[in-house]
Amino acid sequence: MTAAAGSGQRPARPRQSLIVPAGLLAFLVITWLSLSDQFGIGFDLGAIIEDITNGGRILITESDSAAQRGLLVPNWAFLPRTVDPMLETFKMAVVASVVGCTVALPVAFTVSRVTAPNGVVLFLGRTVLSVVRAIPDLLYALMFVAAVGIGPLAGIVALVFFNIGVVAKLLSETVDGVDPGPIEAARAGGGNRTQTVRWAVLPQVLPNYVAYSLYTFELNIRASTVIGIVGAGGIGNLLFTQYRFFNWSNVSIVVVTLFVFVLLIELISIWLRRRLV
Amino acid sequence: MIRFENASVTYPGGVHALKDVTLDIRDGEMLIIVGLSGAGKSTLIRVINGLVPLSGGDVKIDGVSVRHAGSRQLREIRSKIGMIFQTFNLVKRTTVLNNVLMGRLYGAGTLRSLFAWYRPEDIEIAMQALERVDIVEKAYVRASNLSGGQQQRVGIARALAQQPKIILADEPVASLDPPTSHVVMRDLQRINRELGITTIVNLHFLDLAKVYGERIIGMRGGELVYDGTAAQADERVFRDIYGRSLTADDVMSEAATAAATL
Repeated sequence: MTAAAGSGQRPARPRQSLIVPAGLLAFLVITWLSLSDQFGIGFDLGAIIEDITNGGRILITESDSAAQRGLLVPNWAFLPRTVDPMLETFKMAVVASVVGCTVALPVAFTVSRVTAPNGVVLFLGRTVLSVVRAIPDLLYALMFVAAVGIGPLAGIVALVFFNIGVVAKLLSETVDGVDPGPIEAARAGGGNRTQTVRWAVLPQVLPNYVAYSLYTFELNIRASTVIGIVGAGGIGNLLFTQYRFFNWSNVSIVVVTLFVFVLLIELISIWLRRRLV
Repeated sequence: MIRFENASVTYPGGVHALKDVTLDIRDGEMLIIVGLSGAGKSTLIRVINGLVPLSGGDVKIDGVSVRHAGSRQLREIRSKIGMIFQTFNLVKRTTVLNNVLMGRLYGAGTLRSLFAWYRPEDIEIAMQALERVDIVEKAYVRASNLSGGQQQRVGIARALAQQPKIILADEPVASLDPPTSHVVMRDLQRINRELGITTIVNLHFLDLAKVYGERIIGMRGGELVYDGTAAQADERVFRDIYGRSLTADDVMSEAATAAATL
């Protein structure tokens, strides 16, 4: 075949979008401004060198108290005291994940374009969910500590809201991309919306749902350190009390316990996901 | 009896997919619709179970208007109409039996189907449907593990599980190879003859239409351009329907030969 065979004309090259280069440029400009004298945020490499001597005292220091010998000298005698708070964190994460992911399942189907009952519900649902997601976990913890008092209950409720936001968002986007064929088949057979979601959509997204749920469980263990600071129970409470008294050797033990625990959970989660998905 | 009364469909984009179609389909008929892609075959089939809403005229099934049915009544109408699709439309991640049980959704009710708590008689109906298309041994296999022909037979079983009065098949063999196409078409023909189910099939290949159709309908540009028996439909008739001379691509056996010699 020769090049002249086709009668079609070659189209002109379409204009490229400038959004990506403009965005990159914006980031560079903001970075440069942050380092400048007038608009800067006081970021200075020299300060790191000057302050490192301060940091040195936190890492290793002379002290009569075993709790205060610095981060690099862990106080192993403190280890048993981390067990109960760590278990509390674990239980909080389990309860919050089970409740949050259960609620998120029907919510996700309500805010997906594919399965929403109508446009109004879709719009309202998405708006509410955006607000739920816009509030950070720490703020939820503060709100519920104020509402129900200091303790794990406040932490659990905070994590539940956080989980609904994450799982409903991820799952609804997965639902948006399902194969529409089975949905048409379920409708053609006389199925209503609930039945269509249950039998044509859910089996398609179930492995993703399990993966998202395990992921939020991991996030909950991690988030517990932050929300513990405002009094929402768990290992974060212990971490913050020790930190406030400058018991760096105890803080060190809490960090190690948390690190090992998170790593363990993540390994189990990876193993589970590989088997289930 | 299915009665089209000046049925018209205009899609939101302004395309007139169906223009003023008037047509009677008797109970127990095996009807084959032919025409080029875009001629309105799929639309004609989908207005029968209301998957595509009418913009004018009406379609009545045993005197009941599809156009004016409320959502509950529409589900009742659909429960008696099985549908078979070009791409099978199975849920690939679940078992064959679960797919066939989708044909029992209306009969089982929302609560039972929500918790997969089907009555033994619903499961029995599903199993019998699988036996009728000779694939019951795959009941607990994931649908994704089946070949195309097997998947389409599961699709037929799902339609049969509705215990329908009508079966609509939208290009049921377009994704299958010629031998498998004949297996699926024979299944449809047997179901039509043995169970007396009105069967309406969209086809592209003319030789298949002539072999399996009792009555053939031709569509062009959303209009009904031919309605007659398979015996009357000769090459001149098909040229008329297609609005051009016939090519090897229009005939399954020759298209297969042409593809093989390329």
